[in-house]
Amino acid sequence: MPLDTSAYNLALLRVDGRRWNELRRVHAQIRTQAAADGSSYLEMGHTKVMCVVTGPSEPGPRRGGAGAGGGGGSGGKDAEVAVSIVIAGFSSVDRKRHGKGDKRTLELQSTVSNALSASLHTHLFPHSQINISLHVLSQDGSLLAALINAATLACVDAGIPMTDYVAACTAGSTSTYAANDEAADPLLDLNHQEEQELPGLTVATLGNSDRVAVLVCESRVQVGRLEGMLAVGVDGCKQMREILDRVVREKGQRMIQEGTVERGVGLNDMDVD
Amino acid sequence: MASLKRSLDSDPFAANISSKVYVRSTKRGKVQKIVREVYLRQDIPCSSKLCQSCLRSAPTDAAGRSTPFVLSEAPAGTSVYQQGHYLVPDTNAFLTAMDLFEQSAAFYDVVVLQVVLEELRNRSLPLYNRLINLTKSEDKRFYVFFNEFRLETHVARQEGESVNDRNDRAVRKAVAWYAQHLARTGAEKVPAVVMLTNDRDNLRKAKLEDIPACSLADYVRQLKDGDKLLDMIPETQDQDVVKERRPGDLLYPEYFSMSKMMTGVKGGLLHQGTFNVSPYNYLEGSIRVPAFPKALLILGRENINRAIDGDLVVVEVLPKDQWKEPSTQVIEEDAITKNENPDAGENEALVSERERKALQEEVRRTHGKTTEGHAQPTAKVVGVIKRNWRQYVGHIDQSSVSQSAQQGRKQDTVFVIPMDRKIPKIRLRTRQVAELVGKRILVTIDAWDRGSRHPSGHFVRSLGELETKAAETEALLLEYDVQYRPFPKTVLDCLPKEGHDWKVPQSLDDPGWRDREDLRGLLICSIDPIGCQDIDDALHSRPLPNGNVEVGVHIADVSHFVRPNNAMDNEASIRGTTVYLVDKRIDMLPMLLGTDLCSLKPHVERYAFSVIWEMSPDADVVNVRFTKSVIKSREAFSYEQAQLRVDDGSQQDDLTKSIRALLGLSKKLKQKRLDAGALSLSSPEVKVQMESETSDPIDVKTKELLDTMSLVEEFMLLANTSVARKIHEAFPQTAILRRHGAPPKTNFDELADQLRVKRGLDLSVESSRALADSLDACVDPSEPFFNTLVRIMATRCMMAAEYFCSGTQAYPEFRHYGLASEIYTHFTSPIRRYADLAAHRQLAAAIGYETVDPSVRSRGRLEAVCKNINVRHRNAQLAGRASIAYYVGQALRGKATEEDGFVMKIFSNGFVVLVPRFGIESLIRLRDLAEPEPQAEFDAETYTLETSGSRAVKVELFQKVRVHVTDQKDETTGKRGVKMELVKVC
Ligand SMILES: [Zn+2]
Repeated sequence: MPLDTSAYNLALLRVDGRRWNELRRVHAQIRTQAAADGSSYLEMGHTKVMCVVTGPSEPGPRRGGAGAGGGGGSGGKDAEVAVSIVIAGFSSVDRKRHGKGDKRTLELQSTVSNALSASLHTHLFPHSQINISLHVLSQDGSLLAALINAATLACVDAGIPMTDYVAACTAGSTSTYAANDEAADPLLDLNHQEEQELPGLTVATLGNSDRVAVLVCESRVQVGRLEGMLAVGVDGCKQMREILDRVVREKGQRMIQEGTVERGVGLNDMDVD
Repeated sequence: MASLKRSLDSDPFAANISSKVYVRSTKRGKVQKIVREVYLRQDIPCSSKLCQSCLRSAPTDAAGRSTPFVLSEAPAGTSVYQQGHYLVPDTNAFLTAMDLFEQSAAFYDVVVLQVVLEELRNRSLPLYNRLINLTKSEDKRFYVFFNEFRLETHVARQEGESVNDRNDRAVRKAVAWYAQHLARTGAEKVPAVVMLTNDRDNLRKAKLEDIPACSLADYVRQLKDGDKLLDMIPETQDQDVVKERRPGDLLYPEYFSMSKMMTGVKGGLLHQGTFNVSPYNYLEGSIRVPAFPKALLILGRENINRAIDGDLVVVEVLPKDQWKEPSTQVIEEDAITKNENPDAGENEALVSERERKALQEEVRRTHGKTTEGHAQPTAKVVGVIKRNWRQYVGHIDQSSVSQSAQQGRKQDTVFVIPMDRKIPKIRLRTRQVAELVGKRILVTIDAWDRGSRHPSGHFVRSLGELETKAAETEALLLEYDVQYRPFPKTVLDCLPKEGHDWKVPQSLDDPGWRDREDLRGLLICSIDPIGCQDIDDALHSRPLPNGNVEVGVHIADVSHFVRPNNAMDNEASIRGTTVYLVDKRIDMLPMLLGTDLCSLKPHVERYAFSVIWEMSPDADVVNVRFTKSVIKSREAFSYEQAQLRVDDGSQQDDLTKSIRALLGLSKKLKQKRLDAGALSLSSPEVKVQMESETSDPIDVKTKELLDTMSLVEEFMLLANTSVARKIHEAFPQTAILRRHGAPPKTNFDELADQLRVKRGLDLSVESSRALADSLDACVDPSEPFFNTLVRIMATRCMMAAEYFCSGTQAYPEFRHYGLASEIYTHFTSPIRRYADLAAHRQLAAAIGYETVDPSVRSRGRLEAVCKNINVRHRNAQLAGRASIAYYVGQALRGKATEEDGFVMKIFSNGFVVLVPRFGIESLIRLRDLAEPEPQAEFDAETYTLETSGSRAVKVELFQKVRVHVTDQKDETTGKRGVKMELVKVC
């Protein structure tokens, strides 16, 4: 078994060899499923998620409890962002099955829905529904952040107008709550082991601004350390936005080269050289 | 169609990412496969002060600070590596010879590889912690190099390669990289990088790859004065020493595999528990397991199978026809194995002839009686889960030293006899026999293999001449694991800067006065033993207009000075308690706090934490409140002074009157406690009087009991109980409390039987009340001490009280059996007990004085604190007692007296006598009675031993005897103790 997170102070290295302010490797693709309106695949380290977006479309018959509503009901003047998350049994080490009504899953659904509703121009599509369907293939920490990022990419791919990217990541702190170490370093992008052992939070910002769209903190941490964690987290979100942006641009470029899309059709604001 | 396939070259990170796959099994037996990412990098510094390139890319923390480099630019050399060298030990080197790395003569500039650290952590957590401490020490210069994260030194496991081989390869690769890397620094003298390993295969491969490598022994020989260090290399690692043994030579049965034991324990076929050795018979052990109400007996060398007192073992119960009674015979290791040869002979048998004889007598005796159903289940050890080995203090058995070793420097094997009688003698190979004979030495046990009768160990250091005060005191502190080193600077830095000039601030606006009540006007005084410097508590009382009385207990406000989680707090939590020896006090907190700033000295203002009750004249509590306060004690009385003042009718001042009022209330409180079933237990307590200048002991006195002692005690109990209720109410899950479990009834079986048979007395153990009443009834009109004797024996049947965290027990389990209190904690001695300090913090939070510090709310942390202080508390008691025993021996030195004694325990070949005047007990064996050893008839039913032949006496349990007491140096333990000879039976 490798060392635990308490070894950080020996050489300022985290359990997987990263420094305090480094993201894990992020790999992302869009338009992974041609048949869908929008789709994406995203890896943050070993956390792997897939996303498919359909809509905006007329809301189908309501299925009990499956979608978490956001941004008003489907009958309202804004489109409803319905998120459903399926966590594969094989995604985590303990291979626990997550039912659809699982409390944690429901909470994730509603958080993702609220985050995306903040950026999507739902008022353009009254009386309709945007379905975001997320599949978790592998879990290694920062799950919520990965879900938000994948959903953002898929929405971009679906061509739904939005203010800007919603980019998310996690931040933590190198010492536990009980150790109460004022000088603890903040950490960027927690993996599973760090999430288990250390305090952490998930933050998402809107585009290039410092506007926080999501802030979730489920662990106990001293207020004094929160500011540093948040600053690192927001900085991580900016890096994440760059990565997402690059993925979108590269895909667009390739599509033009391959002739899938004509230059200038719907992409006039994109720099292609 | 888009595909999910990822092109690797488009990924800038790809080359530098590796993953680690390993398999672990959970507690429930599931196997999990875990995959982890590893990010490889090139900015992990070598940390040599010679290197400039690493300095430029050194990492910084979030505040922009970088860690200073560790390894010296001019490291020491050896005879082979004269240019200087850095050491890179492998895991085994640390596992087997951590003592070597810790000593100060050599072993500087060491590179600890990550792969080694990880392996060490998996193999032994205590050793891992010791190594981490070394890396923190500035002068030892140990640097942890994360080789697995550096691109150049990362090693992937090859197909078919074992984990061990991969790790060895990783070590070699790191050593090679270091050498290359340092060569590039262009330094004048480039230090050699030397791998330390005892693995032959690894050494051979290193040689092939042209990597400098040594075995531990070879390396130590290169050092100046290396001979002395050679002794610290454990025997089994000295490859030349290990002889190939034929299977026929193996003396002990093989242990079961871990999985076989686990399956057995799960299935109820095997049992797991802690192995304890009988203090009177080294061939008899016992183990308590949940499945049996009585302890399982483990008899004989073969069944004990290399278990040592305190080890966590797995046992198998023997068939019923092999069940036996516990031994009634004293069997001492030194008497039986006296002439064994430490150079284990080839034809050695497991059970020696003499041992066989001693055991045979046992069997003969039990055979006649098995029908009577007294037999106890017996068991044999089939495996050891966890060794409880530590460092042991002992001395070399003079008789095991050969003549030639006395002179030369040749390596010789000798026996070390540990001070703790429950530990078997240890075989030790050393080159310094001549210097070590007659010294107190510290040794560790390395191994006990199947082929060796005795465990083998290695020498750590010498404490000094036997029977010198310094050596014996240090020995005692080491034996009981008391932290006695001076407080480090980091701890002293936490003290108030004003030092002894610190005062309670004058201005009431000072933050120190926030939420503090001004109680300086109250007539407060303290009552303590003579010469007490760390005054924890003080009291006051005053009549109230409504006829009730206000009573206050004021406790030193230690938590004001010791903030949670600073260096001082951490040190105190490790020490756990102040240890009182006869001539020395080892403080939990630095002197400045303990004896000055916190101590509630008279005539000065001090911060306090006060518990204030309103009590009716019948000592019923009307209400209670808690507050931080400032007090000014009017007087510091000794118990004796206070008693004189109370008894003197002419003293009519307010202070004396208030003490009288307290005394009256305390008697009522005590009566209430006794009515509720509180036990009045007893242990023989004596005090050693010292010559004031030389501090040599001159006399021993039993402690006197004064009313004023119980006055203080009653109010402290009341304060503790009140605080316990309050903090439990505020923190139902995390309050730190103290409980005393009801003893299992079987604990009293023997004593009850003895009382019934010998005196026709009935011992009822249904409840603490019943026990208290029946103990009261145990009187012998002609012998006033008899009652105390029974209480002493009953005390030994009790469980130990323990600290716990309230969330870990159900409410009924909180009960303190001895005090007959539903709930209890320790609050009144924060200067000398860590539990009290934690309770202070919780109480301060409970009354809203300060916010809750996470450390006093985190249950995991509190449980760890409780676990530690329970051990420390017990060790402190044992150390205190051992210190008294040592000084009683010294006080008696050269004096011989005749004293009254009482028979406490009877064996078939001896009996134990307690002498109340000295509070000591000692074994008198048959062979001590007369020469030649008299014949004896032992009746286990009536607890009678009747001798005939060379001397005829009849000794019965509880009997009063006259004994001749002299001092004697115990050859076994090297302790000066008391020797008793029977003069006559009264
Ligand atoms: Zn370097």
